[in-house]
Amino acid sequence: MRFSDPTLPVWVGAALLLVFLMLFPLAAIFRTSLWDENGFNLSRYVEVFTNEQFLKAIWNTLIISIWVGAISVTIGSLLAWLVTRTDLPWKKAIRALVMASFVTPPFLGAFAWTLLAGPNAGALNKLYRAMTGAENALFNIFSMPGLIFVMALYSFPFVFAMIANVCELISSDLEDAAEILGANKWRTAMTVTLPLALPALVSGFILAFLQSLSLFGAPAILGLPAGLHTITTQIWALFQYPPRLDMAAAFSVPLLLATMGLIAVQKRILGRKGFSTVGGKGGARRLINLGRGRMPALVFVFAILSLSVFLPYWILLKAALSRAWALPLTWDNFTLKNFSFAFFEYGDTQLAIYNTFKLGILTATVGTLLATLIAYITNRNLFVGARYLTFFALAPLVIPGIVLAVGLFIAYTRPPLVLYGTIWILFVAFLTKEMPIGFSQAESTFKSIHPELEDASRVLGANRLLSLKEITAPLARSGLIAAWSFIFVGVIRELSAAILLFAPKSKVVSVVIFDLKEEGQVGVIAVLGILLLLVSFAVILAVQWLGGRDVMGTRE
Amino acid sequence: MAIVSIRALRKTFAGAAAVNDLDLEIGDGEFVSLLGPSGCGKTTTLRLLAGFLQPDAGEIRVGGNVISSAHLLVPPERRNMSMIFQSYAVWPHMTVSQNVAYGLKFKRLSRHEIDEKIAKLLAVVHLAEFKDRYPAELSGGQQQRVALARALVVQPQILLMDEPLSNLDANLREEMRFEIRRLHEEFKITTVYVTHDQAEAMATSDRIAVIDRGRLVQVGQPGEIFDRPKTRFVAEFVGKANILTGSYNGDGSVQLNDGTKIHVSNDGASAASAEVAVCLRPHNILLVADDVAARKLAEQSYNVFRGTIRRSIYFGDAVDYTVQLSSQGTLRVVTQPDQRLAAGQQIYAAAHPNHCVVVRD
Repeated sequence: MRFSDPTLPVWVGAALLLVFLMLFPLAAIFRTSLWDENGFNLSRYVEVFTNEQFLKAIWNTLIISIWVGAISVTIGSLLAWLVTRTDLPWKKAIRALVMASFVTPPFLGAFAWTLLAGPNAGALNKLYRAMTGAENALFNIFSMPGLIFVMALYSFPFVFAMIANVCELISSDLEDAAEILGANKWRTAMTVTLPLALPALVSGFILAFLQSLSLFGAPAILGLPAGLHTITTQIWALFQYPPRLDMAAAFSVPLLLATMGLIAVQKRILGRKGFSTVGGKGGARRLINLGRGRMPALVFVFAILSLSVFLPYWILLKAALSRAWALPLTWDNFTLKNFSFAFFEYGDTQLAIYNTFKLGILTATVGTLLATLIAYITNRNLFVGARYLTFFALAPLVIPGIVLAVGLFIAYTRPPLVLYGTIWILFVAFLTKEMPIGFSQAESTFKSIHPELEDASRVLGANRLLSLKEITAPLARSGLIAAWSFIFVGVIRELSAAILLFAPKSKVVSVVIFDLKEEGQVGVIAVLGILLLLVSFAVILAVQWLGGRDVMGTRE
Repeated sequence: MAIVSIRALRKTFAGAAAVNDLDLEIGDGEFVSLLGPSGCGKTTTLRLLAGFLQPDAGEIRVGGNVISSAHLLVPPERRNMSMIFQSYAVWPHMTVSQNVAYGLKFKRLSRHEIDEKIAKLLAVVHLAEFKDRYPAELSGGQQQRVALARALVVQPQILLMDEPLSNLDANLREEMRFEIRRLHEEFKITTVYVTHDQAEAMATSDRIAVIDRGRLVQVGQPGEIFDRPKTRFVAEFVGKANILTGSYNGDGSVQLNDGTKIHVSNDGASAASAEVAVCLRPHNILLVADDVAARKLAEQSYNVFRGTIRRSIYFGDAVDYTVQLSSQGTLRVVTQPDQRLAAGQQIYAAAHPNHCVVVRD
């Protein structure tokens, strides 16, 4: 008599589903970009690299990403250093505000900045003109520098999170050791602190670079009016009438290869031995006394946070509460009509809000379940080759949302699986895109649960699934709630994949905001933006309150 | 009658055999230790017994029924065994009594019976007053007792223990050895105990199975293992040993490599003229200073060596000497503390042939 493991189909099923989710859209991209009615040929790739318009988009993307990377590293690491290693006051508040810029969808930030620094009606430009009597605008946000500026504002938190972690792990002992051997403060910083932090700095640059490479919303809102195309907006344009799916696919491949290459470089840097000593147990840290520099440092920090949080939030709130957003918010100008219009009258919003939260809850639930199963398989090494699943679960990290959308669009608009036109294609897109965050949360959760806890349950008579339910699940609960919430927040703010995959019946809030921009419905956009922000903050605060987990992965 | 019967068991990981052709019979109610250095395959053997691993070859039977082979694996939950883990594996989200009750949930017992059994077991392991505490509120030793109670309360047919004491501090470890033996005498559950600590194995076990590089090298009662080791590995791993090498003459004597001839005891470990090793336990060697006493010992057929005390270390309850032999090599000797010899002193070291045990190299 053979007792087979009755739970095996569950594991194998989850693994196959994951592999399918990842490979199917990528295969579609390569197939469509390499084959046409004439069979295999590279003509589309030739066009990508010879067509002037495409080359211009690639060049723009490169310039923008390098600048965004550089600015993000500068601001992010300075802020991180100030918050972790000095006696700067109000650190908790600063961390919370950096977290707020992290959570703000870049397309919303970009929209807010069109209201703040649009050349004609922009609030800051009007203020400038009123104060100086000048005719021209101080700042035109619809420009390359404007685009770089806004993208950097919402990319630096990635660098901040990374550097803050490293700074907290470099113990003062390491620096003391150098000083005892005769190095002065400057030499210590240059020979000990900086080299220790360098891998994190380079890695942070790559992270911000990648982020700006794959953003769609901000470049579309700020770049397109100025005639500036990036790779992502160009791919989007190729989807407009008449659609050139094959070109979009071919144009996606260089972007995909670039992100893959950069992630590979980042992994190498982080995997180096020198960095692992930083990852060790941090010794005591003494805070550096800023002295007279304390006030200027605080002003600097709040200036940055004004640009990324205070000013955009203020203008959104003002726009939501006024009849004419550009006029001062007086009693005459005050109205709640934007809210009632957005929620009850404007055609698409109710359905979009419903779709957004439905997709958020659905994706978060299924995604957490799948990520949990996959993380469990890789962590407990349930079958041969289980560890390769990690690669598949993390693969979407290197797939920009818009590239994923191109692949899904091609893959699911033809039989056997026709999902286009329904919200299910968005569900698949979000499920795929959010897999890495869900997986890494679940993975670190399982790592902290000793396998013997489960073995003990099995010996006493519970099978594997029952042991999972009775022992592992309760222990993993807070980690899995965090995974659920992070996926949820990721989904409700997603634009770059949704923009290619939505149909009239499957619009989501981010897409509606993007559409409303064309119509100039500022008040409604502001209302919807505030709704997204409030829900995101509520979910994140609930997680922090429940399990002490930080959305950016920094330690307090 | 053997209740557990392990035959030709084999398990390889990535081509390397962790358990290699292992045979072992364990009787009903017997307490057997698997003793060996880390990485010798003892924990793998235990996990094979528990059913967490499937053997590549060989089989495990319990009461005549095959439960593990290359083609068949009864899952752990259907083996009617209990296991105690190195990490205790006490569930942090359950109270002491919830932990202990867990295994009873699968036994179709009434609430009343469950409560009764828990109360009894918690009393046995002296945890009755902690029943509503969470593990985080208990000390390491108390958590260990929870693990013991949880494993015993289900009255398993076989109890498996995987280095259960290795995470405890030294004093507690000693106390828990006696505790484990006491519980064994009380419940008489067939037990397999994995450890790398020979003192732990001696204190708890009816028999010890010494394992080296995946192979079983000797099984026997603690005294047998200690006094009559069969191989040099056993001699050196279980207790301290002086090893002298030479060739066996076939007449109960060994010609040592330095030319000296000594009388030995040989349990058939070696044939004539084979290269052999002879094990002398440090505490079985007598040190005498005067010629008369030495001659008397030689007449009683003791092997007597001339030597010089090179170093002596006083331990309070014993003295540990290093003796430089005049022939060749050194001997470690442990004596009672009332005999004090100084470094540099000329002495005789004497060992009875019964204590000079031929072992395979």
